[in-house]
Amino acid sequence: MTTFTRRRFIALGATGAGALTLAACSVSTGTPGTAGSEAPREQKDSYRVAYIARAQADSFAAWLANEMQAEAANYPKLKLEVFDGQADDEVENKLIENAVANRFDAVIIQANNGEAQKPYIQQVVDANIVTITTNPRVEGINGANSIDANPYDQGAVVAKAALEQVPQDASVVVLKGPAGNFHSTQRREAWEKEFFAQRPDVKIVAEDIANWNKDEALTLMEDWSLANAKIDAIVSMNDNMASGALEAVKSKSAFRDILAYGVDGTPEATLLVQSGTMTATSLQNAQELAKLNMKAVNDLLTGVVTEVNDNIGNPLITEKNADEYVELYRKAGLIKS
Amino acid sequence: MPARLKTFDAGRYSIFIILVVVFAAASLLSENFLNPDNLFNVVRQVAVITILAYGAMTLIIGGMIDLSAGAVMAFAGVASVMLYKSSGSLLLAVLMGVAVGVACNLVNAFLVATLRTPAFIVTLGMMLMARGAVLELTQGQNVLQLGDFILIGQGNLNGWLPIPVLILVVVTAFIWYLMNQTRYGRAVYAVGGNEEAARAAGIAVERVKYKAFLVNGVLVGLAGVIFMARVNAGLPNAGIGYELQAITAPIIGGTSFSGGVGGVFGTLAGALIVGILGNIMNLIGIGSYVQQIVMGLIIVVAVAYDVFSKRGKAKTTILKNPAKGEGTTPPAAGQGAEPAVGAGRRA
Repeated sequence: MTTFTRRRFIALGATGAGALTLAACSVSTGTPGTAGSEAPREQKDSYRVAYIARAQADSFAAWLANEMQAEAANYPKLKLEVFDGQADDEVENKLIENAVANRFDAVIIQANNGEAQKPYIQQVVDANIVTITTNPRVEGINGANSIDANPYDQGAVVAKAALEQVPQDASVVVLKGPAGNFHSTQRREAWEKEFFAQRPDVKIVAEDIANWNKDEALTLMEDWSLANAKIDAIVSMNDNMASGALEAVKSKSAFRDILAYGVDGTPEATLLVQSGTMTATSLQNAQELAKLNMKAVNDLLTGVVTEVNDNIGNPLITEKNADEYVELYRKAGLIKS
Repeated sequence: MPARLKTFDAGRYSIFIILVVVFAAASLLSENFLNPDNLFNVVRQVAVITILAYGAMTLIIGGMIDLSAGAVMAFAGVASVMLYKSSGSLLLAVLMGVAVGVACNLVNAFLVATLRTPAFIVTLGMMLMARGAVLELTQGQNVLQLGDFILIGQGNLNGWLPIPVLILVVVTAFIWYLMNQTRYGRAVYAVGGNEEAARAAGIAVERVKYKAFLVNGVLVGLAGVIFMARVNAGLPNAGIGYELQAITAPIIGGTSFSGGVGGVFGTLAGALIVGILGNIMNLIGIGSYVQQIVMGLIIVVAVAYDVFSKRGKAKTTILKNPAKGEGTTPPAAGQGAEPAVGAGRRA
């Protein structure tokens, strides 16, 4: 049996008092001492803007970061600093916290995972810092602004084009991005509603995740093309995976006429569409995203506007107009020859 | 029972038995599996990882590890692609890839062997440096339009033998010879088994470590060249996670993390088991979520069986009387160069 000594009684009492004190306090998240105010934004000669990129190892994210820097040079008042989230929620969240602690005037966030970053983005808003989420937009944050390409529309524009092109009773394979990725799931949903629901004759013979990667898609397609003698089309949620799948079958005569659809309009995909190897893709234009982001951040900081939620277009790239986009990439230095 | 069958050492060959079982099961699960195109497909798919795995195996046997293999592979491959695009010379491009792999690994070797810094930390640092270097070199963009460079990864010799498979066969023969038929190979086992005993036996431990990183560098550089040629692009984000896959194959194949034990054919078997499992699951349409579960389960079961069967053998040999020639007490790994080799090596 436990004996209540005086020392144990004091210890229990102190613990209870501590627990009551903690319970009486309100607990909040965020960087201490950075609570924002509703005061009008102070006008300055220059503004420090943090751009927290998803991952510099992601070719689209790297292109967007480069375009952000190039576009920022057109705004003399803006001093843009780029940070690399390394495709890691923990790193990205720390960078957001650091941006708040370092009192940037504005923070542009390219979330790695919207749900994981949401509380941290809320901290930026609460600290009265101009906040923009971009590529993708993070929904449900009061006071945050956004510039994005709508991933559903990106998938839909290609899916609608495929409606007429994919032959009757076709067999197709589907390549998806990382599990739970907002852009991947939205693009896949667009394909489901705009294509597969309209074309019940089309059969999906294989579908899997290739994590946006060309090499993973290549391996999957090497195996699928052996297991399925007839594949009429590759439906991919991005261009990297579509080009990897095409690489697997390019020397196989049975797949000479295979159709391939992607999204993003990367330089490689644009060249493949131009040469007739790939059928279509929709452009996610980093230049346009960067222009809208820099304009938005400048207008928000200087008080021209108080809220921005905008989308860029999703032009369809086919063999007919591919030259125009190849030229765009040549000018941007992303296609060399 | 014939004497040869009676003395058959099942534990020693357990990984090969598992490979045969996996192969047989795969051939029953899909009629496409035994298609020659598919068998070449499997070997082509595992070529890059197996070449990386031989490098990892050499280091692990020598008591070291390389966590930078994936990033250095990307750096070497992209550097090779860029040189090819500017020079048009395949030979120069391959040499460039190998040179980058060797240079990064010599830095690792200097820090590990000369400055006695733990290999885990050194190669972790190199992983970040190499990844940063390749991203800086390309500004995060893929290098496109590789021209004839892709022959290294996609070409076929005489129209039927894939070049990556040919390279894998040559590399396998070379590493087998190096590890089994040379004094250097024996020294690697000795150093990994017991570094101090090896030093006392007169082995130049630092030199052995330098050479192990040198071998790893050549293999990582070569793997980078094949990888980029296979995907027809210089991908700066290539090889993420490959260092762990490269370590997995030798460990499945019986290489001991504590050093001094391992073998080329065990590593090849480990890589083939992983490759066949991935292939058969794609052929029969198993999704990637289930694939990960099955892959993890089979890796754990294979290694557990391997360890269990060896433990059983060790008990048996200790209990038998050496005087009757029925068995010997296993020598402690690393007690001098030769016993360590005899105790640990598996071909």
